Amino acid sequence: MQVEVRGITKCFGAVRANDDISFTVPSATIEGILGENGAGKSTLMKILSGFYRPDSGDILLDGKKVEIDDPADAIRQGIGMLHQDPLDFPPLKVIDDFLLGKRGGLLPRRRAVIREFNELAARFDFSIDPESYVDTLTVGERQQLEILRLLWLGARVLILDEPTTGISLPQKEKLFATLKKLAAEGMTVLFVSHKLEDVESLCNRATVLRQGRLVGTMEPPFDTKALVGMMFGKEVPQEPKAQPRMGGTVLHARQVDLEGIRIQIKGVDLKVRAGEVIGLAGMEGSGQTLFLSACAGLAQPVQGSFCLDEEEKDMTGRTYHEFRKRGVAYLPAARLEQALIPGLTLTEHFILAEGMKGFFIDRKKSEELARRRISLFNIKGRPDSPVESLSGGNQQRALLALMRDPLKLILVEHPTRGLDIESTIYIWGKLKERCAHGTAIVFISSDLDEILKYSDRVLVFFAGKVTPPLDARTLSVERLGRLIGGKDWDRLETEAAHA
Amino acid sequence: MRDTRANRLLFQIGAVLFALLVTVLVLFLAGAQPFAAYKYIVLGALGSWDVVTNVLVSWVPLLLATSGLLVTFTVGLWNIGIEGQITLGAVFTTWAMRLLQDSGWNPTLILVLALLAGILGGTLWALLAGVLRTFGGVNEIFGGLGLNFVATALNIWLIFGPWKRPGVASMSGTLPFDRALWMPIAAGSSRLTPATLVMAVVGIIAVYAMIEGTYFGLRLKAVGKNPKAAYILGIPTWQNMMASFAICGVFAGLAGAVQVTAVYHRLIPSISSGYGYLGLMVALLVGYRASLAAPVALFFAALNVGSIQLPIILKLDSSLAGVLQGTLVLFVMLGNGIRARLIKKGT
Amino acid sequence: MRTISKLFLLAIIALVAGSAAFAQSAPPATGPNLTIGLVMVGPYNDHGWSQANYEGVQYVLAKLPGTKLVYIDKANSADRPGTTVSQLGESLVAQGAKLVIFSSDDMTDEAIKFAQDHPNIFVILTSGSQQWKEGKNYLPLPNMINIMGKMEYMKMVAGVAAAMTTKTGKIGFLGPLINDETRRLAASAYLGARYAWVNYLKKDPSKLTFKVTWIGFWFNIPGVTSDPTQVADDFFNSGFDVVISGIDTTEAVAEAAKYTAQGKQVWAIPYDYARAIDEGKGVSLGVPYFNWGPAYLNAAKAAMNGTWKNHFEWNDPDWKNINNPDTSAVGFNKGTLSKEASAAVDKFIGELGKGLNLWVGPLNYQDGSVFLKKGEKATDQQIWYLPQLLQGMEGQSVSK
Repeated sequence: MQVEVRGITKCFGAVRANDDISFTVPSATIEGILGENGAGKSTLMKILSGFYRPDSGDILLDGKKVEIDDPADAIRQGIGMLHQDPLDFPPLKVIDDFLLGKRGGLLPRRRAVIREFNELAARFDFSIDPESYVDTLTVGERQQLEILRLLWLGARVLILDEPTTGISLPQKEKLFATLKKLAAEGMTVLFVSHKLEDVESLCNRATVLRQGRLVGTMEPPFDTKALVGMMFGKEVPQEPKAQPRMGGTVLHARQVDLEGIRIQIKGVDLKVRAGEVIGLAGMEGSGQTLFLSACAGLAQPVQGSFCLDEEEKDMTGRTYHEFRKRGVAYLPAARLEQALIPGLTLTEHFILAEGMKGFFIDRKKSEELARRRISLFNIKGRPDSPVESLSGGNQQRALLALMRDPLKLILVEHPTRGLDIESTIYIWGKLKERCAHGTAIVFISSDLDEILKYSDRVLVFFAGKVTPPLDARTLSVERLGRLIGGKDWDRLETEAAHA
Repeated sequence: MRDTRANRLLFQIGAVLFALLVTVLVLFLAGAQPFAAYKYIVLGALGSWDVVTNVLVSWVPLLLATSGLLVTFTVGLWNIGIEGQITLGAVFTTWAMRLLQDSGWNPTLILVLALLAGILGGTLWALLAGVLRTFGGVNEIFGGLGLNFVATALNIWLIFGPWKRPGVASMSGTLPFDRALWMPIAAGSSRLTPATLVMAVVGIIAVYAMIEGTYFGLRLKAVGKNPKAAYILGIPTWQNMMASFAICGVFAGLAGAVQVTAVYHRLIPSISSGYGYLGLMVALLVGYRASLAAPVALFFAALNVGSIQLPIILKLDSSLAGVLQGTLVLFVMLGNGIRARLIKKGT
Repeated sequence: MRTISKLFLLAIIALVAGSAAFAQSAPPATGPNLTIGLVMVGPYNDHGWSQANYEGVQYVLAKLPGTKLVYIDKANSADRPGTTVSQLGESLVAQGAKLVIFSSDDMTDEAIKFAQDHPNIFVILTSGSQQWKEGKNYLPLPNMINIMGKMEYMKMVAGVAAAMTTKTGKIGFLGPLINDETRRLAASAYLGARYAWVNYLKKDPSKLTFKVTWIGFWFNIPGVTSDPTQVADDFFNSGFDVVISGIDTTEAVAEAAKYTAQGKQVWAIPYDYARAIDEGKGVSLGVPYFNWGPAYLNAAKAAMNGTWKNHFEWNDPDWKNINNPDTSAVGFNKGTLSKEASAAVDKFIGELGKGLNLWVGPLNYQDGSVFLKKGEKATDQQIWYLPQLLQGMEGQSVSK
């Protein structure tokens, strides 16, 4: 189906999120929609999928002007949207989730639908058990389920919002293969991303948005430099990787056994030294988060111990707050759910994190503090901005700004998930600055490039198994990908012996 | 739609109008004259200095309860157990008064000690709900409801048992205390006690200042809005919840003490007078904003007092006040919900 | 704005009202117009105590031109949370009442406070004894009158009717709360029942079971009192076939009708209100009732013409016709009685009228201690302030 937008404009308050955007995507095309955070990609896609109504402008499907009332209406007209966070219902069975949104028939013909589901899944080589529960699926599998559901509901235009964050490399490859196959069959795909390489390897065309406006469209072969230029209005330099300067032990995990809800980890042994960066790689749900939170006292080991500092102070069984007092900071991935407090302003966050003395709030002092941090961390926001009004990148900057000084150990889940390149580089710049002052960093990422680029050592998690620390300088993307996928583990032992 | 002060006000006025409309409809269906009913409610609440003092008498415990609830709401807790906390405040007050009434001590001293005992009672009962929630994993709503039942049972047992009047067990409560041990009544009124009025006003101002102006209040807000993130930011979660339970208990206990020393001058079975539940409604209605609590509580108290006119003059049931209060809360919350939807749709 | 400044002024110059001196004389006569305020503990149409009071005042309105009624019912802290009875009394004063009747013993504390706070308002505290010089709780208040009817006689009649009817020899007494009044009324019913049992039926008094179960208040308050329906059921299920109600509402009659309809013939005797007899046809043996009209009429006249003097009255029935609405303070409406029982009731009333006194020794308290020695007659005070149930009665004497 051919999708055309004409003069789409959408304002939120004084902000023009979309400003007179027009373009046409012919059917059987995979169109990349590029842009940094806040460029207006998500807004445009939400308008196409019926979540928002534009202030002005038209949407044309196959040349016919249409009105899209709501998401259900969008799918009736053939537009299906795959959200960054899959909009499924975890306590449901796969098949029930699949059935949701289907019109008509009070009592769905389950058996027939299961057959259809299996046929559809087989077509794309997905292996999802329709009787399993949604919350047992990985993010990648949920995405597959959602694609199947949208296809089944008759989608002829598929919108994907940052689909490659949070899924493993093999899953990503499968997703791309699927999308290419669908496009070949006539599907129109709008692929929203800020990852240039994804767009380059998948898309037939790329359209770039910046500050709510369409700045240009490019066809392959893509010129990376030019695309970056269009996205940011300038080229972003990449920092060269520095040699680690490692100091004394800041954290020692000794033969730690952990038990999570669906995962068990056995016998992890790790010494984190001052100034180094350790990346935890693996498919989502392989135990990295469990291990990382245990390093902060947010989960307790069933066996083994966690010790802090050179003197190996045993912290097993202590609370996060005791870890925190000893210079450990934890930055969760779900910023607005676990790390920031929606409804409170930036200033209030700084006050809280600072643990101010006294009884009555010193407004003047607090605001000064907030202003200082805001400018220091280049946060786009004002002291009185509620944190939820900030963009993802600025929220992450705020999180960094909230960390106290000095810190011995920073534990970060997905430090740059969903952020644009500029923010990513900025965030890592700030983190590396800390390393230079002797702070150690342990982080989780599903982005293999990020793992390899920023880590000094890497731990790979697979189904509760953990590799010994691997030297990032000698680790290739391919090898890492194979380990994440559960291959080559038998060879590790011998290597570790040599290392 | 945008989130502005103007449209918030508009929605709230709309909600009030709707609530009035619904009550008019109810009255109409009951075969009564709605406007006469409203007229008599207004006259019954404002018509004379006497009834105004009655409104103030009812306002004091209601405002105290609301003040306490604002603190627990701030930290994200539904302290339904406030009814029991008021009751225990009243029980402890009565206990102290019974111990001291024949001591010959200065009545003011006895009253002060009795108020402190009431505060202690309310606080202990609130902390119990807090302990159940924190260490027993019992949601404060269920724990509170259970503790309310226990408090009522304890209260009735005391009235019909150990603290009964000589030879008499009566719903009308324990033997009244000597007039010398009543909270001093203002000249020209038969029940207005200025001291309790001062307590209520100071109380709500203190709560307002605490929530809006102190580090402690900010920490409570943080825990209330996002306990996980607050914990990660280094704010102790359960300690702050316990603290807010305790503060609410202080206010609830004081409300109970006021009921005993200034309103009934004895312990009666329904000593809490439902001010805890009514306080929950006030807190909901004001959207947990302390600045509005005092006037809205006053309005609710006026409705309660004014509605006594309905059975006397119009032979209508006075529960109309409750209907009006209930629909008001309902429509304001409904209005907030619709408004939030519209705002979300617009962003 | 004026009220606010007034409030501030008051807050500043707050005085202890407790030390205020009370008026020493009765309120001034009201003249030809009198608005009567009536505060009732239950609903005005409860077919019991409150309705009897309500109709008593209606009698006054009919007999005495210039009188008007304003009333508030359900004046108890469960039905009207947050209010006090004195406050409700003031609401009636605001509607013009110059005479306020607090029609329940339960309102004693608040009625006293009200009478003290409003020396210019006439106050009747029904069933109280504060204005009884010879009473235990004498607290002279020039504007207050206590009125009570000698219900003891009619409870005795009820006891006779019960004893003449029971097949199992087990009579239940559904008691409200425990106090002087309820004890003496339960005891009166027992005395009547035992008298008929021994003197008319010539049976062994030890074969008569008379059990009192108290629910805790004058009517059911769910969750607070025992449920009177449940208590009546318990009686009927455990062999009691007559239940004498001492509470303000008619659950006992309703349950008796239910059991009888199911084929188990049982009876009940309601209380307080003359026409309570209309309910439970066939199971109601009769109703001992109050006729407040004449006493309230006298008090209203006194308030109007200035002859009011605080006093206590405990009014007799008119033995010539205990059901005379103009002269008898208490009465007994006969219901479904067998011929023998009906005759016995009439005979007993006749004997009472001729001076039969059942409050004569030898009588022991429930715990076996001596109440009245042989031949000793009880004084009014001994009866009014009866401290225990009597020997031969089961049930709690004092609240534990």
